[in-house]
Amino acid sequence: MKKYLFIFKATFMESLQYVMNIILGFITFFIVLYVFLNLWDYIYSDSASLISGYSKNQMIWYVILTEIMWFGTRNRTLTNQIANDIKSGAIAYGINKPYNYIFYMIARNLGEVAIKFVLFLGAGIIIGYTFVGGLPGFRFVNLPFIVIPFLIGMLINSFLQMSISVLSFWIEDSTPFQWIYDKMIIVLGILFPIEMFPGWAQPIMKLTPIFVVTYAPAKLVIDFNIHMFLNVLLIQGIYAAVSFVILMGLYQKGVKRLNVNGG
Amino acid sequence: MLTAVKNQWRVLFLSLKYNVMREMTNHVTFITNITFMILNNATFVVQWLILFQIKSDVGGYSLNDVLVLWGIAASTFGLSHIMFHRAYDLPELIVNGKLDAFLVQPKNVLLGVISSGTSTSAIGDLLYGYLILFIFKFNIINFILFTFLTITGMLILTAFAVIVGSLSFWITKGDLISNNLNGVIVHFSTYPDGIFKGIVRLILYTVIPVGMINYLPLKVILHFDPVQLLLITAFTIFITLLAFLIFYKGLRRYSSSNLMSARI
Repeated sequence: MKKYLFIFKATFMESLQYVMNIILGFITFFIVLYVFLNLWDYIYSDSASLISGYSKNQMIWYVILTEIMWFGTRNRTLTNQIANDIKSGAIAYGINKPYNYIFYMIARNLGEVAIKFVLFLGAGIIIGYTFVGGLPGFRFVNLPFIVIPFLIGMLINSFLQMSISVLSFWIEDSTPFQWIYDKMIIVLGILFPIEMFPGWAQPIMKLTPIFVVTYAPAKLVIDFNIHMFLNVLLIQGIYAAVSFVILMGLYQKGVKRLNVNGG
Repeated sequence: MLTAVKNQWRVLFLSLKYNVMREMTNHVTFITNITFMILNNATFVVQWLILFQIKSDVGGYSLNDVLVLWGIAASTFGLSHIMFHRAYDLPELIVNGKLDAFLVQPKNVLLGVISSGTSTSAIGDLLYGYLILFIFKFNIINFILFTFLTITGMLILTAFAVIVGSLSFWITKGDLISNNLNGVIVHFSTYPDGIFKGIVRLILYTVIPVGMINYLPLKVILHFDPVQLLLITAFTIFITLLAFLIFYKGLRRYSSSNLMSARI
C-alpha cells in the first residue's frame, strides 16, 4: 500500500507542474456549459417552471456537476495509455516491476486527476454562481456525505474504463468501445437526469453505471436525503466490487495471452 | 501553372489513397472503427428525442432539421479528418521540429503536411452525415447541395485548424489553445444557432466560423438561397487563402530541432 501511496504522491507532484495546461482546458469546459445554459434557457423560456420535477436552476446545476465529474476525472492514462502499453508491448516493463500494474495505474490516475478535479470543481462552482446563482436547498452540513459518493463514482468509472482498455489484450484497438461507453455516460448520464427519460427506461437506467457514476452523486447535491445517500452507497459498493473483480479478472486472463517480441 | 495544380491534386489524392490503404492493413480494426463511430454519433439522437419531447422546436428548428444539422457537422468534420487529419497535429509538428521532412519536398509544404495522415473513424463520421441526409431530407438537389456544403465546410474547418495551429509558430502553449479552439467549433456545431443570442451569435459567424460551416448550410438546405450559398463560397475562399498566408508567414519563423526522422 505504501508504494502505491508514493506513486500517488509522485504523480500528484508532477501534475502540479501542469496546472497552466489544466486551466487552458477551462475554455472547452466553459463553452460546453455555456451551450447548455443557452439550451436550457431556451427550453425553459415558455414552459412550466418545473420539467420532470427540476427547476431551471436545478437542471443547470445538475449539468454543471456532472460536467465537473466528467472533465475533472477524464484521463488518457486510463484509456489510451493502458491500451497503448498493451498494443506496443511496453506493458512488459510494467508487469516485471515490484508492483501490480493495475494498482500502479489506479494510483497514477488518482494522482493525475486529483488537482484537475479540484480546479474544475472550483471553476464549475464559479460559473454556476455567476450564471444562475446558488442552489436553493443546498446545505453545507451535507457536504461530507456528498463527497463520498463522488469519490466512489470516480473510482467505479476508472475501473470500467480500465476494463475496456484491458480488452486490448484480445482486440487490437479498444478505443471504439471507449467511445460507446463515453457516449452512454454523456448522453444518458450527464446531459439529463434520469427522470427526463420515459418511465419504462428509468428502472433499467438505475441498474447501469450511469446511476452510480454521474446521476446519484449529482442528485445528492441537488436534493439530499439520507435514505437516498445510504441507498446510493450500497449500490456503489456493489458496483465498485463487481467492476474491480471484472477488471482484475480480465487483466489476469489477458496477461497470460501476452506475447512480446524483441524490445 | 495548370500542370502544377494538376500535379498537386495528383499528389494529394495519392497521399489520401495510401493513407487509407495503410489504415486498412488491419481490416477488423478498420471496420470496427467506422461502425462504432456511426453508432457513437447515433447515440446523440436520444438527446434530441428527449429535448423535443419537452418542446416542439429548439432554436426554431424541428427534430429533423436538428438531425440534419448533426449530419452536416459529422460530414464536414469527417471529410476534414479523412483528407487533412494532420492539420489538427500542426502544433505538435511545429513545436517538435517535425516539418523538416516536408520542407525538402518539391510540392506545396502546407498541403504536404496536412494531407500526410488520415483518421479511420472520420470515415464513419462522413458516412453518418450522408445516412442522416438519406433518412431525413433526401432528394437529388439536397444531395448535391449537401455534398457541396460538406466540401466548403471541410475547407473552412481545415483552414481554421491551420490558422489556430499556426499560432505555435509564435507562442509556446499554442497546442493547447488550438486544441481548445478546434473543440469549441465541434461543441457549437451540433446545437442550433437559434438558442444563442447577441454577440455570441455574431462571433459564431465570424471569428469562430461555425455559422459558415454548419448553420448557414443548414438554412440553404432547408430553404435554398443563392445569396447565402455565394456568401459561404466567398468565405471559404477567403479563409482558405488566409490559412495559407498565416502558415507561410509563420513558417519563416520555424527552426528545425535537428530531429532525425524517417517518413515511411
